[in-house]
This record gives sequence, C-alpha cells and structure tokens, in this order.
Amino acid sequence: MIQTIAYGLTIGGILYIISIGLSLTFGTMRIVNFAHGFVYTIGAYLLISALPIVRDNFFLGAVLAVAAVIPISYVIERFVIRKLYGVSIDYAIIATYAVVLIGVDLTKWIWGASPIPLSDPIGRDITLFSGVSLPMYRVLIIVLAVVIFGALTVFFKKTIVGKIVTASLEDKDAVKSLGINVDKYFSIVFVIGSCLAALGGVLYAPITSVHPYMGMMVLLISFAVVIVGGLGNIKGTFISAFVLGLVMAITGRYYGPAAETMVFVVMGIVLIFKPVEV
Amino acid sequence: MLSVKNIDVAYGHARVLHDISLELESGSMVFIAGRNGAGKTTFLKSIAGFMKPVTGTITFLGKDITGMAPEKVALLGIRYVFQDKRVFSHLTVRENLELAAYPVKEKTSKAIEKVMSIYPKMEKFLNLRAGSLSGGQRQILLIGRALVGDPKLLLIDEPTEGLAAGTINDILNVLAMMKGKVSMIIVEQNLSVVGMLGEKVYIMREGKIVQTCSAKEEITDKKQLEQYL
Ligand SMILES: Nc1ncnc2c1ncn2[C@@H]1O[C@H](COP(=O)(O)OP(=O)(O)O)[C@@H](O)[C@H]1O
Ligand SMILES: [Mg+2]
Repeated sequence: MIQTIAYGLTIGGILYIISIGLSLTFGTMRIVNFAHGFVYTIGAYLLISALPIVRDNFFLGAVLAVAAVIPISYVIERFVIRKLYGVSIDYAIIATYAVVLIGVDLTKWIWGASPIPLSDPIGRDITLFSGVSLPMYRVLIIVLAVVIFGALTVFFKKTIVGKIVTASLEDKDAVKSLGINVDKYFSIVFVIGSCLAALGGVLYAPITSVHPYMGMMVLLISFAVVIVGGLGNIKGTFISAFVLGLVMAITGRYYGPAAETMVFVVMGIVLIFKPVEV
Repeated sequence: MLSVKNIDVAYGHARVLHDISLELESGSMVFIAGRNGAGKTTFLKSIAGFMKPVTGTITFLGKDITGMAPEKVALLGIRYVFQDKRVFSHLTVRENLELAAYPVKEKTSKAIEKVMSIYPKMEKFLNLRAGSLSGGQRQILLIGRALVGDPKLLLIDEPTEGLAAGTINDILNVLAMMKGKVSMIIVEQNLSVVGMLGEKVYIMREGKIVQTCSAKEEITDKKQLEQYL
C-alpha cells in the first residue's frame, strides 16, 4: 500500500507540473487551451530527438527539449491564443483542438506512429524506510514538483511579473488602466506554463512510452485537476494534483481500468459542492 | 485639454451613447450626474479606451485617442478609476501602489508618499491586503493609485457610492486637495458633493447629455434637476 501511495505521489507530481500551466491560462486568459496537450507530447518527442545529441544525458536532453518549446509555445500564443481573447469559449476549444490535431499528425510525420519506449534514466532504487523502495527517478519527480510549486509561489508573490498576473487574474481591466500591457505578461505566463507541460511530457516519457496521442488523455485528466484545484489557483492545483494522483494509483491497484474514471468521479463530486467560477 | 466630439458608443448592436460632446479645460473639475443606466460609466470608459466609439472623435492634448488601447491612454496621462471600488484585493496596499508605479517608472516609495500626502492614515495599512480595507479606504487607495505618475486627467466613477456620511467627507477632502492640480471628470449622484466641489455639471439621460450647468446653479435649482436623477 505504501508503494501504491508513493506511485500515486509520482503521478501527482507529474500532474501538477502539467496542469499548472493549464490552470494559469484558464485563470488569466479565460481560454480553454487544448494545445497544452500538444506541447506535452512534443516535449517528450523533443527529448527523444535530443538524447542522441547529448550522448543520452537525460538531464541535458530535458533542458534542450524544454528550451525548444519556448519558441513553439510563443508561436502558438501569438498566432492562436491571442486571437481568442474575449471571444466565446467554444472558439477557443475548437481552435486549440485544431492545434492538437495538427500536432498529432505532425508528430506522426516526423517521428512515426509507433510508441517509442525509454528507459529509466537513473535506473536505481532508493530505500525509503523499512523495506519500501522506490525508483529514485520517481522520488526525484516528487521533489521536483514540490520545488516547482515553491518557485511558482515565490514568483507570483514576489516578482513584479507575478504580481501583475495575480492582479490580472482578479481584474484585468484595472491593470490595463494603470498603463500595463496585460497581454505581454499573459504571453510570459503562457510560455512558462507550456514549458512546464513539456517538462511533464519529458518526465513521464520514461515511465510509459512516447506516442502521438499521449497528450490527449493527460489533457482531460489535467482539466479535472484544474477544475478541482480552482482556476488559476497555484496552491489548489498543487493539492488537487496530488489528491487525484493518489486516487488514480489507489483505484488502479484494485481495478486498473477505473483509475482514470475515478478522477472524473471526484471532479463531479467537487463540482456539485463547489461550482466553478468563470 | 480633452475634446470629445459627437461620439456614439454601442455594446454590440445596442447603441447606448448618442452624439455626446464635451470640452474640458486644463485644471478643471467637472461632474456627470444622471440615473442608473444613463450611460455615465460607458462615457468614461470610452475616454479611457475601454469602449471604442462607433462614430465621433476624442482628442487629448491635441492627440487623437479615439479607439486607442486603454493601457496606451493611461500612459498618455488619463487614469480611469472604476466604479465599485475594485482594488487588487489579494495584493497588499503597498503592492497595489507598486503596480501603479511600475509602468510609469516611478519608485514605489514615491508612490506611497503621494498617497500619504492626500491621506496620511494610509501608512498603517501599507502591509495589509487591500481586500481587508473598508470601502472608503479602498476608494482613497484607488484615487491615490491613479495619481501615481502624475496623470493629467482623472476619470472617477461614483467615488462616494455606498459610503457612510463620515467617509464621504474623507473622500471630499481628498478630492478638494487635488482640485486644480489635476483635471477631473467625476461621475457623482450625490448633489451636495457636486455643489461643494464642482464647477460644471453635465446631466446625462438615456445616453445623451441633456443639460449642462454650473454646479452652484444646479444646487439652487435642485427641484428641476431631480427629475433627471
Ligand atoms: N457590458 C454591457 N453590455 C451590454 N449593455 C451594457 C453593458 N454595460 C452597460 N450596458 C448598458 O448600457 C447602458 C448604460 O450603462 P452605464 O454606462 O453603465 O450607465 P450608468 O453608469 O450611467 O449607470 C445601460 O442601459 C446598460 O444596460
Ligand atoms: Mg455607472
């Protein structure tokens, strides 16, 4: 059982890293961004392409992959997302879903349709306490999620960009009325969020395998995390990611096929008691 | 300094302002009064860049600002203070001022001094969340925040709405202190505030300016005006 909980926390960590960007875009720009799933997938594929260049150094490969997503997500923001500000939410879903579909075909075209396996980059286990051991890689993911949570919290509390975004989450027009070009800061947040999604893809790649549709299912689960955690809520998303990660792991232990379904059951229950404020 | 010429403004197909014109002299303080839904907020938002006029022009200091983005209008020196006392409630008072100082490249400490010069009590609240302030304190923070970077024109939307009499006095003092230093257009339903401070009052009704008079005159002729309010 402790093993299951530990695995759940790993899933939670990855879910947090992926979902936080989605939550921020949702919260600041009021845009349902399916393209997030594409960025996640492309992160994993870029890692695969980067690994031979850096002689299979996973860390360097991850850095390269995430860095490569900066220009990609900037283009998505500039030419798709920015056109969607203030437009009806359905257009955003359609337009960003189009990005996912194009992305799936693009990845098939470049990397092929068959899944690509990756091995655990560390390959060693770590004994936590009395007989419970866990792949070191998974422990690192949990630590990394906590570090990212801390860094984002500091970023939003202490930096001027963070404060501008926090204020915009509450009242975008009032921020504009001070002479601040809000959209510029939203693109920064969008790019940060996308890089984190790509990092999620990179981190998850060795745990499952890399395939063109990997972004689709994860995207839906991420939406559940965001809805349960509260739109644009950094702490809420953190907690909800770990709770839902545990839900998945524990359900999966008893009945595998229900693991993902349970996430949406939890989301439904949360929605009954706490309606989403959009 | 500000010249609004024959603007029409609409939400989608619903036209809510009809042929509005207004000339403002530098340093003056004028009021706009009128019933709820008359179009006062829409008018201020059109000047501030939040609404784009369908026809007509708005010029500020000789520059055409019709349809200009709100953040650009703000940087030209026009600050709009929203109705409903909307501070950034999750940020502290200090951070609210920091955000105002940032785009105009002013030091936060200077912004704080400015607010303290109109309302010394603010010092005690600097590190509190703005959301915890009372309605009157929020309003003063908003006015103070709008003063950062030495704007030339303030547009203030219903500053005394929903406040108790004592608090209204605080606001009145702040506005009186600013009078002459910065031009102001203030939407205000409270006729005694208008009478005490204003030079000119524009009465709006159903998207039109139906009457313009001096504030003193307006107060003496309350009966006639109340039909519009
Ligand atoms: N966002 C909006 N969409 C559509 N109509 C609006 C909107 N805001 C205001 N209106 C309409 O415009 C008219 C003027 O509103 P407003 O400028 O807020 O009036 P006031 O500030 O004088 O109370 C009203 O009839 C109102 O219903
Ligand atoms: Mg109004």
